[in-house]
Amino acid sequence: MNVLLAILGKDLLIEWRRRDRLVAMSVFAVLVVLILYFAAPPNRAEGGHAHVPGLLWVAYVFATVLGLGRSFALELENEAMSGLALAPADRGWIFLGKALANVLIVMVVQLLTAFAFALAFDLDLWPIAPALAGVSVLGAIGLCSLGTLFSAMAVRTTNREVMLPLLMLPLMIPVLLGAVRATQGLFEDGAVPASALQLLLVTDGVFLIVSFLGFEYVLDD
Amino acid sequence: MTDHTSSPWHRATAGLLFVLAALWIYLVWNAPIDRVQGVVQKILYVHPPTAFAMYLGFVLTGVGGALYLWRGDARYDRFAASSAEVGVLFAVLMLLSGPIWAKGTWGKWWSWDLRLTLTLVQFMVYVAYLLLRSFTEGSERAARFAAVYGIIGVVLIPLNYFAIDLAAGRSIHPENLGDGSLGEGMRAPFWAGVVTSLTAFAYLLVRRLEVGGLRAEAAHREAHDALGAEG
Amino acid sequence: MSGRGPAIEAHGLTRRFGPVVALRPLDLRVEAGTTLAVLGPNGAGKSTLLRLLAGLARPSGGTLRLADTDEDRVRRRRRIGMIGHETFLYPALTARENLVLAGRLWGVADPAARAAQLLEEQDLGAAADRPVAAFSRGMGQRVAIARALVHDPEILLLDEPFTGLDPTAADRLAERLREAHTAQRTTVLVTHDLGRAAQLADAVLVLVRGSAHEAPPDGHADATRLADQYRQIVEAASRSRSEVTA
Repeated sequence: MNVLLAILGKDLLIEWRRRDRLVAMSVFAVLVVLILYFAAPPNRAEGGHAHVPGLLWVAYVFATVLGLGRSFALELENEAMSGLALAPADRGWIFLGKALANVLIVMVVQLLTAFAFALAFDLDLWPIAPALAGVSVLGAIGLCSLGTLFSAMAVRTTNREVMLPLLMLPLMIPVLLGAVRATQGLFEDGAVPASALQLLLVTDGVFLIVSFLGFEYVLDD
Repeated sequence: MTDHTSSPWHRATAGLLFVLAALWIYLVWNAPIDRVQGVVQKILYVHPPTAFAMYLGFVLTGVGGALYLWRGDARYDRFAASSAEVGVLFAVLMLLSGPIWAKGTWGKWWSWDLRLTLTLVQFMVYVAYLLLRSFTEGSERAARFAAVYGIIGVVLIPLNYFAIDLAAGRSIHPENLGDGSLGEGMRAPFWAGVVTSLTAFAYLLVRRLEVGGLRAEAAHREAHDALGAEG
Repeated sequence: MSGRGPAIEAHGLTRRFGPVVALRPLDLRVEAGTTLAVLGPNGAGKSTLLRLLAGLARPSGGTLRLADTDEDRVRRRRRIGMIGHETFLYPALTARENLVLAGRLWGVADPAARAAQLLEEQDLGAAADRPVAAFSRGMGQRVAIARALVHDPEILLLDEPFTGLDPTAADRLAERLREAHTAQRTTVLVTHDLGRAAQLADAVLVLVRGSAHEAPPDGHADATRLADQYRQIVEAASRSRSEVTA
């Protein structure tokens, strides 16, 4: 637990000093929202919200993948990753520290993205803000759990920028399915369908467990 | 190292495959033609069997990976990699045969139905698996990363089905292909197809394992030569 | 020397990277409380050996035992302090923050106090609160030394620890290693510096192209004699290789 907090604190402190990841992710997310606005303009005549929740999650996912790539890139400088690997701790806690830092950073980006999105698509998100935040966090946990594990692997492949999305995206379908359905429910009738919530919770749980266990094997040479 | 080329497994699976394939073709040829769907329905004897072989390949990839992480023996890693490659091959067969059937019965090549799409995603997972292997330097690390990824890929299979059940409700694709849903006279060719497909899988897996073994041997010898034989 | 038995014991330790053999089957025994110097030309497998001993790399074959903790990886890591090829430091954090982090990861009772003490020892007091990114290699190396010592480890694994150090800092490190020696710490020192090796080591291992050649005992009392022996071993090893290829 101490290890988790030490790693979490370290990652957040580094992010606070540099702010490079947060800024890059936010700018990128806003750009994605802009592109979505022009590629799929909101169609008020048909009153169609149908694909809007999906678009919001497209922006979230792309920004998250971008940020996760940096998560372990910073461990490569001075080979700091070896320093972590040497620590006499269960590596699962190191994983949780890094994953939690990623979730917190992604949450900030989600907040900014949601603002941009509400402006671009002329949505009134205030009434559903708390529930949307909850769904976003559950989605962020799903994305960042396996994402953090794969980031540790991808930075040490020869094709690291491409490898992370290739590894991550096909496994993210259950998270996306749950998150998009939940968001859809919120937009349409202001409530999260129980089945979507269940899917999100189960997926988050499964992903956290396998990443926690799998991390033991990705830090070594 | 054993001599892989004369492996008894290789000959046994090849012989069995030959006999089964002949039997299967005979049965399919003589199977009744579906009254509603017509001849195209006979893809039933190809499509689900390749899907079974695909899932078998993916499950074995995870099993091989888990054994590798546990025991650290490179042979388990070769087993996992071979299973993934053969599984991907069967996935391609399945993805090719599916649309032909779909065109004949639903009137369109592909439907963006959840179940179909998730199978496509499952296929992408193993494409990513093979890419991960080829982009990771150092065979030991590649094996370790691939093992972790392969195990997660297997965990995803039930999760995907759970996702379909919860989020989709219904699907255009038949829910299960158990014995009950098969019509009169279709059971024998169907199961012959399944057994043939799995035997073909076994044969290809054995051949692929032989290649893997030979490659490892060659790499070993190369390393030995490169370093000289002092000491 | 106390009769505590070996601190490190390896049999047939091997490491391959695909077709490349980084380390040939190696038998190694380092007695508790002694210092082993590992010498050898570039690419001989010295760093590989050290990373295997540290548990950072997994052996492709053979067994490795660190005194009575062959099973539990976590407990094994607790015994080891390592100075690597790189400093393992986060450039965005200050020297002090890096050390406090290490203290927390290694479960040191009072990480802040320990960090302050180590900074004092390494004569880094003035630079303690500047980000490591601004440090020279030598300054970074001093922080790396402090980092490796944060939990007062029983076994020190050092990969070229004198890199970038000015003469004063290098002498201080050598002094520190001699102290560790009297305190019965076990040390494996990978270095190109034959003078330091002769000064600090109880035993010498020469690695050439992944194969081990032991320098005969008592032959390394002074640096010139060790240098002669080292040259002979390396030449003999390359001669035997060319015979094989011819």
